Amino acid sequence: MIEVMRLHKVDFKYNDTPILKEISCVIRPGELIHIIGPNGGGKTTLLKLLMGFLEPSSGSIRIMGKPPEKMRKKMAYVPQIFPFDRLFPISVMEVVLSGRLSTLRWHGRYRQEDKEIAIECLKEVDLLEFKDQAMGSLSGGQLQRALIARALATQPQILILDEPTSCIDFKAQLEIDSILKRLKRRMTILMVTHDLDHIGKDSDRVFCVHGKLYELKPEEVCQHFSMGLYQKPTKPSVFEEVMK
Amino acid sequence: MSFLQALMQHSVLQYAMLAAVFASIAGGVVGSYVVIKRLSFISGGIAHSILGGIGFSVWLKNTYSIAWLSPLWGALLAGLISALILGWIHLYYREREDSVIAAIWSVGIALGILFLANTPGPKIELGNYLIGNILWVTPKELWLLLALNVVILTVVAFTYNRLLTLCFDETQAKLQGVAVKGLYLILLMLIATTIVLLIQVVGAILVITMLVVPATIANLFSRFLPTMMAIAVLINIAFSYFGIFFAYHLSWPAGATIALLAGASYVLALLLRSKKLKLRA
Repeated sequence: MIEVMRLHKVDFKYNDTPILKEISCVIRPGELIHIIGPNGGGKTTLLKLLMGFLEPSSGSIRIMGKPPEKMRKKMAYVPQIFPFDRLFPISVMEVVLSGRLSTLRWHGRYRQEDKEIAIECLKEVDLLEFKDQAMGSLSGGQLQRALIARALATQPQILILDEPTSCIDFKAQLEIDSILKRLKRRMTILMVTHDLDHIGKDSDRVFCVHGKLYELKPEEVCQHFSMGLYQKPTKPSVFEEVMK
Repeated sequence: MSFLQALMQHSVLQYAMLAAVFASIAGGVVGSYVVIKRLSFISGGIAHSILGGIGFSVWLKNTYSIAWLSPLWGALLAGLISALILGWIHLYYREREDSVIAAIWSVGIALGILFLANTPGPKIELGNYLIGNILWVTPKELWLLLALNVVILTVVAFTYNRLLTLCFDETQAKLQGVAVKGLYLILLMLIATTIVLLIQVVGAILVITMLVVPATIANLFSRFLPTMMAIAVLINIAFSYFGIFFAYHLSWPAGATIALLAGASYVLALLLRSKKLKLRA
C-alpha cells in the first residue's frame, strides 16, 4: 500500500463560516507527521474530518481507499485535554481494555487475549505497575500514557494524537516523545502539537494548518511558530501564504 | 410492639421490605450509571412523566373495569416512552435538552392529574403517587418488581463494559464501532425501569433520592464501578430499612422519612470525606 490517507480538495464550513479550504494531501504508511498552526486554525477540525466525526462540505477523504467512518476501527485517537472526573470509578486496566471494545463478544466480556494485549500496551508505555489503580489517581503524564496505551490496544494502523503533551510536565513530555519514537514506522502517526521541540529528526513532515494546509519540512519550522507569531520561517513563500 | 416484631408478624411490612430490597438493588446499580454519566436531571424528568402513565392506567382500569391492570404497567410504558423521547432530544437536539426535560416533567404531572380527575369511582389523589406508599405493595406487584429487577440486572451484566466506556469516553466508544446512540437509549430505558421500581418505595417526587444519593455517597468512598454499585445497593437497603423503621415508630410517611435520612447521610458522608482528605494532606 502506498498511501493510508488521501485528502482531495477538502473544504469544511461551520454555519457558512469557512474553517478549512482546499486541503489536499497524501499520507503514507509509517510516517510521523506533526500538525501545527494557530488556535482556531482548524487543526482539531481536520482530525475530526479524518476520523469521520465531521463530513467535508466538499472534496473527498479516503482512508486506505474507503470513507473515514468505515475505517474508524483502524484508527486510534488520543484526545487533547481529557474532560476527566477524578472521582470516575474506573481502573487503568479497564481504560486500556476499552481499546478492545470492538472485539467484545455478545456477552460483553473481554477475552483472555484482549487482557494480554492490554497488558502488553501497558508495558509499552511503562504503566504496568499501575494497572489496578484508579484512573483518577494518576498524574497528568501517566494519564496521557494510559490513553496512549488504550489507543495502542486497538492495534491501529493510524494513531492520531491531539496535543498529548499539553498540560503535562517536561519529564512526562520526554516520556511521551520516547514512546512515539518507538512506535514510529509500526504505524502512521499524526500528532497535533504547539510545542515545536517535538519536531525534530523523528518527524517526517510538518503540516501547518491555518484555514489551508501548508506542508513543511521539519527543518523549516522555527521556534517562532510556537509563539503563534508566524514570523518568517526558513521558507519565505510559506510564511507569506500563512500571513495572508 | 417493636418494629422487628411487627415485621415478623405483618405481611404488609414484609412485602414493603421486599419491595424496598428489590428497588434498592436496581437503584444502586443503575443509580451508579446516573451519577457517573450525570443524568440526574433527565432521571427527574422521567420520574415525573411516569405520573401520566400511572393516571392513564388507573383511569383505564376503573373506566373499563380491567381488574389486572396495575398502575405499574402504565408507569413502565410512560417511563419507556419518555426515556426514548428524551434520548432522541439529547442525541439530535442537545441545545434544547433542558427545556424538553422541563416540558416532559410538567406534562407528565398534568396528564396524571387530568386522568385521575376523570377517573370514575372513589376520588384518587395524585399525591399518593407523588410521595408513594410502600405499604400498598401487593404480592402480584412484588412479582412484577422482581421480574423488572431481573431484566435490569441481566441487561447491565451484558452491557457492563460498553456502558462503562460510554460513560467514561463517548468518543472512544464511537471509534470502537459501538452503537453509541442505541446504547444511550438502552441506558435511559434502564433508568426508566428502575424509576418504576423506586416509585413504589418513595414516590415520583422523592425517587431521585434513592437513585442518586446512595450512588453519590458510594462514589465518595469507592474507586471502581462494581464496588460503587455494591456500596450503593447496601446504602439503599439501609436507608429503606431505617426509613421504614423510623416511619413505623414516628408515624411519618415512609417515603419522606427515607428521603430525609438519605439527605442527612449525604451531608455526613461529605463531612467524613473532607475530614479524610484533610488527614491525608
